[in-house]
Amino acid sequence: MASPQALLSRPMPDLGGPAQPLLSVRGLTKHFPLKGGLLNRARGSVQAVDDVSFDLRKGETLGIVGESGCGKSTTSRLIMALMQPTAGEVIFDGQSVGPGGLTLKEYRRQVQMVFQDSYASLNPRLTIEESIAFAPQVHGLPRRPAVERAQELMAAVGLEPAQFARRYPHELSGGQRQRINIARALALRPRLIILDEPVSALDKSVEAQVLNLLMDLKEQYGLTYLFISHDLNVVHYVSDRVLVMYLGRVAEFGPVDALYEKPAHPYTAALLASRPSMDPERRRSEPPLSGDPPNPVNPPSGCRFRTRCALAEAVCAGTVPPLAEAGPGHRAACLVHAPGSGHSKATAHAA
Amino acid sequence: MPPDAPATLVAPAAATASAPEPLVHVRGLNVRFVSREATVHAVNGVDFDLAQNEALCILGESGSGKSVTLRALMRLNPPKKTVMSGTLRVGGQDVVAAPESAMADLRGRVVSMIFQEPMTALDPVFTIGRQIAETILRHEGTSRAEADRRALELLELVQIPSARRRLAAYPHELSGGLRQRAMIAIALSCRPKLLLADEPTTALDATVQIQILLLLRRLQQELGMGVIFVTHDLGVAGEVADRIAVMYAGRFIEEGPVGALMRGPLHPYARGLMGATVHAGLRGQRLTTIPGAPPDLRDPPRGCAFAPRCPLVGEDCLPAVPALRSPLPGRQVRCLRVEDAA
Repeated sequence: MASPQALLSRPMPDLGGPAQPLLSVRGLTKHFPLKGGLLNRARGSVQAVDDVSFDLRKGETLGIVGESGCGKSTTSRLIMALMQPTAGEVIFDGQSVGPGGLTLKEYRRQVQMVFQDSYASLNPRLTIEESIAFAPQVHGLPRRPAVERAQELMAAVGLEPAQFARRYPHELSGGQRQRINIARALALRPRLIILDEPVSALDKSVEAQVLNLLMDLKEQYGLTYLFISHDLNVVHYVSDRVLVMYLGRVAEFGPVDALYEKPAHPYTAALLASRPSMDPERRRSEPPLSGDPPNPVNPPSGCRFRTRCALAEAVCAGTVPPLAEAGPGHRAACLVHAPGSGHSKATAHAA
Repeated sequence: MPPDAPATLVAPAAATASAPEPLVHVRGLNVRFVSREATVHAVNGVDFDLAQNEALCILGESGSGKSVTLRALMRLNPPKKTVMSGTLRVGGQDVVAAPESAMADLRGRVVSMIFQEPMTALDPVFTIGRQIAETILRHEGTSRAEADRRALELLELVQIPSARRRLAAYPHELSGGLRQRAMIAIALSCRPKLLLADEPTTALDATVQIQILLLLRRLQQELGMGVIFVTHDLGVAGEVADRIAVMYAGRFIEEGPVGALMRGPLHPYARGLMGATVHAGLRGQRLTTIPGAPPDLRDPPRGCAFAPRCPLVGEDCLPAVPALRSPLPGRQVRCLRVEDAA
């Protein structure tokens, strides 16, 4: 039996080989009950995540984009097992997570997370060296090698250990704190890192520094990223494949270039067209979509996007669109792409 | 009247305005925040003019002094801690030394502001209609019925669907986009000449952000207002501004027309900022970054504030702050390294 020190010095071995997805999400669903009234009875539920399935390949970066309330952060918390799903399962390298499979401790050794709020995610009463060395000690690494690892990781994220090791989170800038969060996520030598809006709270010049760092670390440690953001440009920059969510469901899923160049779902097209043009001579005159996303408490029937969709027809209200083929490895939950769905544009696109 | 700064600092846009006095006239504006522990030099000599019907965007990162400059135009910085000096006139009226009663008349009627977070800027215990009517009653002394009628008009102006029903809605009953529209309606209720906007779309989703930006641009043109926009997002600036001013460590370090500045920024900081902005076509390339961090404004450097991070820095950058000069027609930059056009 190897000592914890040896176990923690390198990532857990690859079990299923490169063809087996690192993470498989199957039918993941989370409904939050709404309570109220005189006896605090359930009055319906917020359908935050509804039947989301995808595979994450080894070594790739999968981007998840969507607007607030689309369920992207809930999805990340369900994958991290920070909350119990209403239905569905998460399979990590062929092993299910939970009773009968990987224990949470074993799972979280291999999956770590970086959050948007760099200050709230650090313990204000621990120095940053203690914060980074905390998890390895929980997993059985003695204090001295844990501190050594913390110092090595601080150097890896570009912070001089001699200068920063004894400081507290409030003494650092937002960009420095986010580097510490990244170092802490790396401390257990994980294989998957979930990045939930890791650069959204940072200034542009700092954002670029942190993105460069994330790309370097991915290479250096052989990581797989699940990158969640509302910023389409950042997701375009970092991702190999992209998943677009709308009101708790997957709207579109595909390789980054295909999805950005030829979006198949009308929502993706509108989202991409909503980006500022960066060219004052080519300003838009009409917004691509009107109104706000509907409330996830009572989502529209059938296709959830139909209330804002220019292509919506009567059939969209009655049928939940399946994820239909829109290109190689590219799927869209839109009846226009589903042959024989009854949508007037469907046959034209079915070829 | 306080004496004007040297004529070399006058912004070029002032020359084209037909009125003798531009809508906003700022010379040598300094804002310091004084407390027992430290004095923060937040704004250190800002000069600009804004014509009627012109949209200026102040672009900068956190701590650059962009919001403090904007708040100074309405004198909204905390009165006990703030020391303001220089010349600052809005619609011909002095803002630096005016009595509080004069400021109360100015705010809302001549100049008004919209904020980033509509949920905290709106009063949660009054309906939207009541909050709009209140402003009209305070400034114009109309009847209640007339104020209510105007409130309805305003909600229609900012394109709130089923406006009559929304008048009776409380802020928490509206979505983020509608709340921001309601705040714009309140800001416009007394037909101000100048609208200030502090990151008005930062808290909004992408598909809603573009709606609000287009609405603000249309209102600015239809109502002929001057608009000053503060943002950290270059894309937002490109969508609404006529001119852009880039701010760093409490100073304008570059200023010019939106198209020219976005195509070819001159100051090394402005160039770095644009290189660091992630946009389409950068995939697979390493992002250019600006090393280091902005200076501590409790103890600002004597020379160019960007010098410690600048790739072009030389000895001559350190003794004094470079003056704002005009190397190209219509452009101004605070850097010794930018060559004059032949």
